[in-house]
Amino acid sequence: MRTKEKIIKVPFIGDLIYSSGHTIVGILLGIFTGGLLIAISGVNPFLAYASMFRGAFNSLQSFSNVLVRSSPLLLGGIGVAIGIKSGVWNTGIEGYMYIGAIGATIVAIPELGLPPIIHILLCFIVAMLFAGLWGAIPGYLRAYKGVNEVTATIMLSYVAIYFTNWIVSGSPLAQEGAYFPMSLPFAKSSLLSILMKGTSLHPGPFIGLLMCIIFHIILKYTPFGFRTRMLGHNPFAAQYAGINSKKQIVITMVIGAMLGGLGGAIEVLGLKHRLYMEFVTGVGYESVAVALVAGGEPIGVMLSALFFSILKVGGATMSIETGVSSSMASIIIALCVLFVIGVGVADSKRLKKRDEKDPGKKTLSFKMEEAVK
Amino acid sequence: MNENSILLKMQDISKSFPGVLANDHVTIECEKGHVLGLLGENGAGKTTLMNILYGLYQPDQGKIFVDGKQVVINSPSEAINHGIGMVHQHFKLVDTLSVIENVILGIPTNKAVLDFGPAKKKLEKLCKEYELFVDPEEIVWRLPVGKQQWVEILKALYRDCKVLVLDEPTAVLTPSESDQLCRAIRKITEQGRSVVFISHKLREVIEITDKVTVIRDGKVIGTVNTKEATQSILAEMMVGRPVTIERKARPIIKEHSAVLVMKNVNAFDDRGVQALKDFNLTVHAGEIVGVAGVDGNGQRELSECIAGLRKPSSGSITIQDKQVTNVIADPSFVGFIPEDRQKTGLVLDFTVAENLLIKDYKEKPYVKNGFLQYSEIKKHAEHMIKKYNIKSPSGDIKVKTLSGGNQQKVVIARELDAQPVLDVASHPTRGLDLGAVSNVHDILLNERNRGAAVLFISAELQEVIALSDRIIVLYSGQIMGELDGETADQFTIGQMMLGQTTEAKK
Repeated sequence: MRTKEKIIKVPFIGDLIYSSGHTIVGILLGIFTGGLLIAISGVNPFLAYASMFRGAFNSLQSFSNVLVRSSPLLLGGIGVAIGIKSGVWNTGIEGYMYIGAIGATIVAIPELGLPPIIHILLCFIVAMLFAGLWGAIPGYLRAYKGVNEVTATIMLSYVAIYFTNWIVSGSPLAQEGAYFPMSLPFAKSSLLSILMKGTSLHPGPFIGLLMCIIFHIILKYTPFGFRTRMLGHNPFAAQYAGINSKKQIVITMVIGAMLGGLGGAIEVLGLKHRLYMEFVTGVGYESVAVALVAGGEPIGVMLSALFFSILKVGGATMSIETGVSSSMASIIIALCVLFVIGVGVADSKRLKKRDEKDPGKKTLSFKMEEAVK
Repeated sequence: MNENSILLKMQDISKSFPGVLANDHVTIECEKGHVLGLLGENGAGKTTLMNILYGLYQPDQGKIFVDGKQVVINSPSEAINHGIGMVHQHFKLVDTLSVIENVILGIPTNKAVLDFGPAKKKLEKLCKEYELFVDPEEIVWRLPVGKQQWVEILKALYRDCKVLVLDEPTAVLTPSESDQLCRAIRKITEQGRSVVFISHKLREVIEITDKVTVIRDGKVIGTVNTKEATQSILAEMMVGRPVTIERKARPIIKEHSAVLVMKNVNAFDDRGVQALKDFNLTVHAGEIVGVAGVDGNGQRELSECIAGLRKPSSGSITIQDKQVTNVIADPSFVGFIPEDRQKTGLVLDFTVAENLLIKDYKEKPYVKNGFLQYSEIKKHAEHMIKKYNIKSPSGDIKVKTLSGGNQQKVVIARELDAQPVLDVASHPTRGLDLGAVSNVHDILLNERNRGAAVLFISAELQEVIALSDRIIVLYSGQIMGELDGETADQFTIGQMMLGQTTEAKK
């Protein structure tokens, strides 16, 4: 049966078939190929992977590192996923994280005399507001002007990164004479509390997991989710059913941006306690990969974000213990993503071929006819 | 006939897509220096056949001969090497490149640096030869559509094609450009090249071609010498259906208030060509108004304007005295069966239950406290499946797994169950088998008897005659004539479909 499968249109790549089976095969292939690379670099891949596993699960502390690492990936991943559901690729999470963090920084630095919970909430709200407005720009351009959202969001991410650089080096918020560009320290009341002694575990990952569950419910059980899915599956039918698809695109991109902004705010409030230059290098782009491996499913985002963080945290241990290059973890992640995409694309091509030969079995046929038109 | 003079032969070609036999043992022949017309309605299989010739599809069976030699064409580049040039209905030009760049694009060269000089000279020579003038330096997107077509033709001639395929070339041309195209085609054939001319416009086909092959429902209906053909012979071959559909008895409806009133409506199609011209139409309660006409004469824009999916450029459309803007969202007011159920009418990856509610999903009782009530949605689906006899095991299966007829029933159930005052049915029987067709007819007739105003758009003459109280014939965005459904005959409608009024005929 092919009912559990679905087709995702990936920009510049084409249709790919997605199912949990495809994903697992892709990830296993990625891990296998990563093992080959480790072997080529002269290390026993079994020892290396064992060390990676230990690094992630050896102690409560190491696992709390995994959780902390997953926090921005969860929030960023769900932000991208909701876009995928409505048929847009909101790839600007990196930028939203910076803009959100700037928003949080503005209200986090001054001592406002508020109780911590209120101060933190205020930081969150301002962060989401900033990021949401930022996300409205590519959303508007995509919906009303037909500008490709992938290009627009990525270019805007660079604007956000350089804007942050100015904030932490030239603006009134910057710490003067610092060894590294950073903002003034945050007020105590704005900092997220540490949940476990001796670790840096803050509530961020749990907020992320909660958001995944909330958006799973929203997408599945609310009229808003119904509209979003309809738009993603068939924009023509959505328009025909009276949905204002332009508005819907802007809304989903703004929501994705707000989640990214929240992720950025949590990073600075929970972990860094200041705004630093380039504090989330690449995490925003990793969230796109997280959402892709999850096939745009919020529950899948939970699993793939954790998987990515296990590789990242375990990869550091692997590098220290076995001498494998420290970038090996990123390489393995990239391989997994490539193989998940590759397996999906190859399978969709195979099915298209088969459909052409044997029309009795219907799977992709209608998509194919569409593409031909 | 001398076998050697056949430049292109496609023999016994069959090609099927899921659920559709697009080409059914089709054979066409084109002689050297001749123009072969390929005539058929939209969806008859003309474009599929040409895509096979150009290597975009592989046929399930059949052979292709070029110049007497059998060839296998796996890709467009192989087709070009065999001397086949094609101008697609939708141009395949790179908008941001110049004309000359587009023309030489894809031609292998062993030079490191492109030298446009000789290419430009060759192109200018071609321009002069065929009187298809374009500036080689102009960027393609700045050219009007007609000129873009010249570029496509010149591109094929530059590659020295033996057979030039033109897919609906005049759809985007002004009358004077069409004349220019005719002259160019004559010059092309004088040099011993052949042209395959695809169209559903009879007049042009008769004017330009030497022979015409008519295709209907994927089959070749016949090939005639153009000299011996008349428009009405071709029209009958093109739209005549082998099965007769009986006109059913119907009660007379007393109440006859005007429901849909269109006044001086003008509208443009997606390409920016005017599709409706000062269009006036009134549809009353309790009548079926059939819209006959060759596809592409404004039917689609007409239905979309009424449904609020397309904005008329001027004029007014009212339904029960209410100005129409976005009635599409309200199925209790207007029921709209769109012409392409898979592309527009359904979300194929949604379940039957969800598809039944893509318009009503936010209404009570399907939503309570902001959450979708799947138990209610399911109950509704089960009710509709029973009421409209949809052959689906449950509401939980994806609509794409249903047959075409049952998919259409899902659309009809959703659109008509709320008893709208106006039904717009656009090609509701297209692609359905006979049983499903008669089912759709019964439903529309019941709608009329209930007192709804029904606008029934179809390209199939017999069903228009069988079902309509009143028939209007659409030709290039205007009403060519209006007939009474009881007394209308195919011949008269056929004449009007070609743009001739009965008076003008004599």
